Amino acid sequence: MIAASFNGALGHFGLLLMLTASFVGALSTGLAIVVGNRKGIRQAAVYAWLILAGALISVIAMQRALETRDYSLAYIQQVGSSTTPGIYNVAAMWSALEGSILLWVLVLAAFTAAVAWRFRKRADDPLVAWAMVVMFVVCAFFALVSFGPASPFQAGPTVPIGFDGRGPNPLLQNHILVLFHPPILYLGYVGFTVPFAFAIAALITGRVGEGWLLETRRWALFSWGFLTIGILLGGWWSYEVLGWSGVWAWDPVENASLLPWLTGTAYIHSVLVQQRRGMLRVWNLSLLVATFALTILGTFLTRSGIINSVHAFSAGQIDGYLLGFFGLVVVVSLGLIAWRGDRLRSPGIMDSPLSREGAFLANNVVFTVFAFIVLLGTVFPLIVEALQDRRTVVGAPYFDRLSMPIGLSLLFLMAVAPVLPWRKASQELLRQRLFWPAWCGAGALIVAVLVGADGWAPLIAFALAGFAAGAALRQIALATRRQGLWGLFGRANGGMVVHLGVILVAVALVASNAYTESTELRLTVGEPVEWSGHTFELVEVVGERDARTDVTRANVRLDGDRIYGPAFTTYLQMGQPIPTPSVRTGLTHDVYLTIAGTNAPVVGSNQAVLEVFRKPLILWLWIGGLMMAVGTVLSAFPGRRRRDPLDPVSARIPEPRKRITEPAVSDV
Amino acid sequence: MSSSTRRDLNRRLKGWPGWILLIFVVVGFLVVGATRDTGPRTPDERIESISKRLACPVCQGESVYESRNTASNQIREGIRQGVNEGNLSDEQIIQQISVAYEGEELLVPTGSGVEALAWALPATAFVLGTAGLAFAFRRWQRAARMLGVATPEDYELVARALADESLDKTIDVSVDLAVDTSTEEPRLGTPDRS
Repeated sequence: MIAASFNGALGHFGLLLMLTASFVGALSTGLAIVVGNRKGIRQAAVYAWLILAGALISVIAMQRALETRDYSLAYIQQVGSSTTPGIYNVAAMWSALEGSILLWVLVLAAFTAAVAWRFRKRADDPLVAWAMVVMFVVCAFFALVSFGPASPFQAGPTVPIGFDGRGPNPLLQNHILVLFHPPILYLGYVGFTVPFAFAIAALITGRVGEGWLLETRRWALFSWGFLTIGILLGGWWSYEVLGWSGVWAWDPVENASLLPWLTGTAYIHSVLVQQRRGMLRVWNLSLLVATFALTILGTFLTRSGIINSVHAFSAGQIDGYLLGFFGLVVVVSLGLIAWRGDRLRSPGIMDSPLSREGAFLANNVVFTVFAFIVLLGTVFPLIVEALQDRRTVVGAPYFDRLSMPIGLSLLFLMAVAPVLPWRKASQELLRQRLFWPAWCGAGALIVAVLVGADGWAPLIAFALAGFAAGAALRQIALATRRQGLWGLFGRANGGMVVHLGVILVAVALVASNAYTESTELRLTVGEPVEWSGHTFELVEVVGERDARTDVTRANVRLDGDRIYGPAFTTYLQMGQPIPTPSVRTGLTHDVYLTIAGTNAPVVGSNQAVLEVFRKPLILWLWIGGLMMAVGTVLSAFPGRRRRDPLDPVSARIPEPRKRITEPAVSDV
Repeated sequence: MSSSTRRDLNRRLKGWPGWILLIFVVVGFLVVGATRDTGPRTPDERIESISKRLACPVCQGESVYESRNTASNQIREGIRQGVNEGNLSDEQIIQQISVAYEGEELLVPTGSGVEALAWALPATAFVLGTAGLAFAFRRWQRAARMLGVATPEDYELVARALADESLDKTIDVSVDLAVDTSTEEPRLGTPDRS
């Protein structure tokens, strides 16, 4: 572990600083809480800033090493190249295992410092202090992994003068989204550490009421939002780069990101029941623990090499660490929940399944079963291998088949839940409130049938999507009529905007899965070919070469209008040709062109074979994602009619033994 | 149209006749739309459908449909030939390819042996989840029945508590029906209430 260069030394120093600050911070803050040393507790913020400083130093060292192509480092030998353009060179940091852990370290350190800053005025509150201890422990773990087995600053073998690396994987220097998808996804993954830390702190301090939930509501919400956007950006990237025209392949790494999203989504719904009714404490804690633990398990699955995935990093370096940490998280969390079992008993009761809280519970069951299916399908090859020592693959058809009824159930719940009141609903009330939303569903179905949609499952999905959209629009209309534009803010109304985004995403996925058409077209220059209402005419096959790539492009005129250029790009340092699709995006459908086969057409040839896809409604997938992001932001801000969420919802017994002046409302 | 007439019309529309009409419309369009689905119609659609069911033999968990490598292209070509022969079912084509590639794998677990677990466990989880929910609601409803009906005194207590809150910004910390005081906690950064 001897630093081979200034960059290596600086990077190691940063990681060591972070590691030390995390360990010392966890120990000293924990000790200060136990002995009641308030001054010691307040020191936690200093450790948080040191952790951030350490992470920043390491990242700066890594970026400097990439920029200067410091081939004394093994990692730069692996991912660096003089031919990689500037922006992809920045992103090369997270293009392999060690650098991706460093990115995780940076995001985690930033969250730790943000928590210290956000709660700076309450630093000596034991709840905050214990939360900081938990953050420090998580920081220490990742700093240890990054400093030890997955260090990106390890010296590499001596290279000859004039050596140039191969650069990142071609797919990681082929689209601008490589700059955004991983960091945003990590903001989601790592962000859930904050509510997890407060949950553990609540268990330790015994303050398991609703206070910690309120303090971490926005943290959980934004983490969920980032995870959502990160996943959707991954789908966009796949669509634009991989050449098979899909956005989601149920690959284990994709599943690893979906798992915490599913439990996180269940959590942000069921937490409303606890805030409102003081119920489901154990369940909410369990969901939060599961969400955090699943981020670790997902990282283990995808970075240990035990599961085959197109995304997986190199095998075997940190699997023991991650598995051990996952076990620690689960054991400690469950132990604490068991220890605090008496305090976690819910004081309230649910009056009727036909209520808002009943719908949230049903939603939780569906999301949890969905998460179980995704986890089972992801690890099933391991189970079969362990039991029968043979290789098996569980792929998209399995997940598609099982996720279809789950998706339909969720759409139905999205339609019904918003109109349900808390506690209890009468049949009459439901009949009144669901009438127009139900007709929206019928309208969606009629439109779908009229434009030619077929098949039971897609049609039911469109009808339920219309139903759910009607319910969400009804809520928004009522809220905006009452409060003007303020009616778009707040967790309920912003949540409805998120629902509309989810509905658009669902409709786009259903339509593109069920009604995509594809064919192979043999095109000859000057001979237009018609297919699926479009005309394709090969204009030319051209070659473009620079120091980095050799591109063979088939320029095709689409519908006698613009020219689209699907290509085969060979990255010279790698020698691996990859297809680069070209897409015409439209409101009703995309036309997706990619060169068929594994060999590029000959430059100057008057023939090319293309694979062409007609993908309906794909644009609405991205618009839906944008709406989900906007809705998340809207729900993070309080609406005008915000009630104090700590107010009890039932009566108090008025025999005061003493009164104190109510403290100022928290500024969170 | 006056607002009261509009309200009246709205209420009438939302009655049972409106719902029955809705059900007829939905069922009618569903049946029309669903029954015209005949599965994959063109050879290209059949090729796509079959290639989605097969795992690429040399890839990291990709299907033949997704994969762009040589092996998958060859399998796609094999599927194309099978489809173009015209007399083979999808299962027969898959069987042919499986023999040709010596152990080509399906992407869907079978319904027998260990692989049946992939289907049985999700079904079990769903049944357990639903049963658990039903059990919890049954228990809550039993507890609710034991609470009895609210008495006039209860209503008076609520009214006094609400009036108390609206008159000044004080809170009662003695006993709270909604929140178990043993688990009550102070807000962050505020003095302990006990």
